[in-house]
Amino acid sequence: MYLIGNIALVLGVVISLYSLAANIIGIRTGDRKWLESARGGVLSLVFIAAVASFLLFYILGTSQFQFSYVAAYTSQNLPMVYKLTAFWAGNAGSLMLWTVLLCIYAGMIVFSKEKRNPMIPYVSSVLLINILFFFTVMLINGNPFEMTDKIPADGKGLNPMLQNPGMILHPVTLFMGYVGLAVPFAFAIAALIMKRMDAEWIKLTRRWTLTAWLFLTLGNIIGAWWAYVELGWGGYWAWDPVENASFLPWLTVSAFLHSVMIQERKNMLKIWNVSLIILSYILTLFGTFLVRSGILTSVHAFGDSNLGAYFLIFLAFMAMISIYIVMTRYQLIKKDSNPIESYFSKESSFLLNNLILVVAAFAVFWGTMYPLISESVTGTKVNVGAPYFDKVMAPIFLALILLMAVCPLIAWQKAAFDKFIKSAIVPLLMGLATAFLLLAAGVKGLYAILGLASTVFMFGTHVMEFVRGIHARRKATKENVFRAAVRLTLKNQRRYGGYIVHMGIAVLTVGVISSYAYSSEVMKTINKGESITIGHYELTFNGLSETTRNNNGIVVADVSVAYKGKAIGGVKPEKIFYETWPEPSTEVAVKTHWAQDLYVVLSSWETKDKVTFMVKVNPFVSWIWTGGIIVVIGSAFALIGGRPAGRIQPTSVTKS
Amino acid sequence: MNLKIILSTILLIILIPTITGAFTYNSKEFQTVIKQLDMQGHADHEFSTCTIQKVYYDEVIEMLNGGMNEAEIIQSYVDEYGQAALRTPGSGKSGIIAWVMPGIGLVIGVIILAVWLKRLTRKNQEAVYVQPGKAGWKNETEREIIEKTFEEERRKLF
Repeated sequence: MYLIGNIALVLGVVISLYSLAANIIGIRTGDRKWLESARGGVLSLVFIAAVASFLLFYILGTSQFQFSYVAAYTSQNLPMVYKLTAFWAGNAGSLMLWTVLLCIYAGMIVFSKEKRNPMIPYVSSVLLINILFFFTVMLINGNPFEMTDKIPADGKGLNPMLQNPGMILHPVTLFMGYVGLAVPFAFAIAALIMKRMDAEWIKLTRRWTLTAWLFLTLGNIIGAWWAYVELGWGGYWAWDPVENASFLPWLTVSAFLHSVMIQERKNMLKIWNVSLIILSYILTLFGTFLVRSGILTSVHAFGDSNLGAYFLIFLAFMAMISIYIVMTRYQLIKKDSNPIESYFSKESSFLLNNLILVVAAFAVFWGTMYPLISESVTGTKVNVGAPYFDKVMAPIFLALILLMAVCPLIAWQKAAFDKFIKSAIVPLLMGLATAFLLLAAGVKGLYAILGLASTVFMFGTHVMEFVRGIHARRKATKENVFRAAVRLTLKNQRRYGGYIVHMGIAVLTVGVISSYAYSSEVMKTINKGESITIGHYELTFNGLSETTRNNNGIVVADVSVAYKGKAIGGVKPEKIFYETWPEPSTEVAVKTHWAQDLYVVLSSWETKDKVTFMVKVNPFVSWIWTGGIIVVIGSAFALIGGRPAGRIQPTSVTKS
Repeated sequence: MNLKIILSTILLIILIPTITGAFTYNSKEFQTVIKQLDMQGHADHEFSTCTIQKVYYDEVIEMLNGGMNEAEIIQSYVDEYGQAALRTPGSGKSGIIAWVMPGIGLVIGVIILAVWLKRLTRKNQEAVYVQPGKAGWKNETEREIIEKTFEEERRKLF
């Protein structure tokens, strides 16, 4: 198995080199045989990466501790699902996951219905450079098939924090998003090299980009949920450098998904769109560099990693190549741009949206890197923690929410102000009513109220767009409401899918604002039979017990819960003492209600009858997960049925 | 006499927390201080499993119960560890740069966008139509735009 694994890695390097060379020769000579051979090479890479991956799964699943990777991340008593998910628990395995996904994506591209498109050899070449890099790095410094000097009786086991269902989905979805961005990047570079600066590459990659965005969203949401239930600090987003690194491409791709619509319709923003997709791709490499370099402290970073330098070199190489290609094609891209009819148009609002999203990305990047920058420039480290990001990002996101509220109401080309006001009045009143209701109910926090009111305004706008569409359709077709709603949505899945995404973001935003602004926390030591009161909850400690599960010692606190004086069951927060891990792990008990979560952590105990609990009441946290699901549904909906927008090109004639 | 009793009572109310060490992890003052401290990168860790956090929590409680106010406690940490003791950049030169850069980024972005939009819309104003439309349109371009827009809306809804 050692041989098969290592031969697979060597073959990966050799075949990707060969396929790259074959592509280059084929492109230069125009000989289809070379191009076909390169395609065959890509198929072989898919096969090789799949063999290596299955092999890794196999050695992990069968606990073959003669392999360093297996010994480092699994143990005999680890449940099978976590033995298998240890595939991406360490550096070498996560590189393998990245490689296999990249190979599969490359295979899908070269064998797609567009396989005869002259762009494909270029696209395949760019992807092959990536594949070559990953196979090489694995071979040099991240080999998952490396053997141990001495076979241990048992492995070190998996970090308890990684023994959570989130481990099955979070890394995979995030990687699918990261790797997915390599595809539109490759198409953009191919279009630039071929000097085909129309919107073809955008149309060809729309689904790829949207899929990558969907997976990035899913990855981030699942990661937030995982952090919430596993880390025990009561939050879900800590603005950790690595979290930020996955958020950065999400922001730039969000900007890209909006600005491509302008290129499709108006043939504008060609340089901008190319730059955004290059930036998004570079940011995925930057995130990988952060995780593997150890330059910033993060709960996500691989502790034993020294791969940062490789990623930094590759990142710099790809960035320089991209910049060089863009610069050499600059004059060509600049041509043929259509004018904007009016400041007050959807085009302008999309530009503003891009500005806000890019500024958000810049702020996150700046905050993430500033500790390093300050230390290297002044010699003094300045920390930039969560409170900084909360303060800086809050107004940016508020602006984004407000823009999302008005943007759907603004027409393409030139919007009429009176019609805009007429459409905006109902949602605006909904927002204002929310603010008044919250104030009347005695809710404190002006910024939070402003945020919530804006979110309701945004949600209302989208609901009204659906209502208007259904009304117009019913008037013309006499269909019933349900049929009109379904047909309206199916008729333009891209548009209404986008609206569903926005509505999901509104739901998510309510959860984020409420949980940040109105959560409460109590930490208290109590005796058996005593209670803790927090908000309308009363928690009574009934006793502490010990048990064993999978050879791990577990201490469980039995707590009964009453809400507004009425018993609503109990919670059982735990502390797990893993056989293979020095630190105990906290298992949070969460009681979810649509309006708030009761979050209970067994903090410590003096005796069996005297225990310290950390209890939080987090309002509307479930809305974050619900909003996330709605966002994913909306993007999947837009993805399945969305067609590229038709181009409206005014035939204006320049005055002679 | 009554005034003395009232004043003594008020003084006692103020001092009792200090005397009896009444500050706890749930005290507002404690929360305000602790939320500002980076605790050597352990600020976001879970309290029950983080020994560094425990040390900081106990130190802060001790300082509060010893009569120090929030600003004094923060300053004592800054004196000891420098700016790195805090979770957010301070008011020094380096800290101000951290705070204002996103704003500068926004301002630059707005200027670029404004200039660019102005250029693009001016370009549009220079574009005029050649022949008057037949059906009451101001010009041929407008007619085509409106027809395309109608078509687009029709496609969206039906």
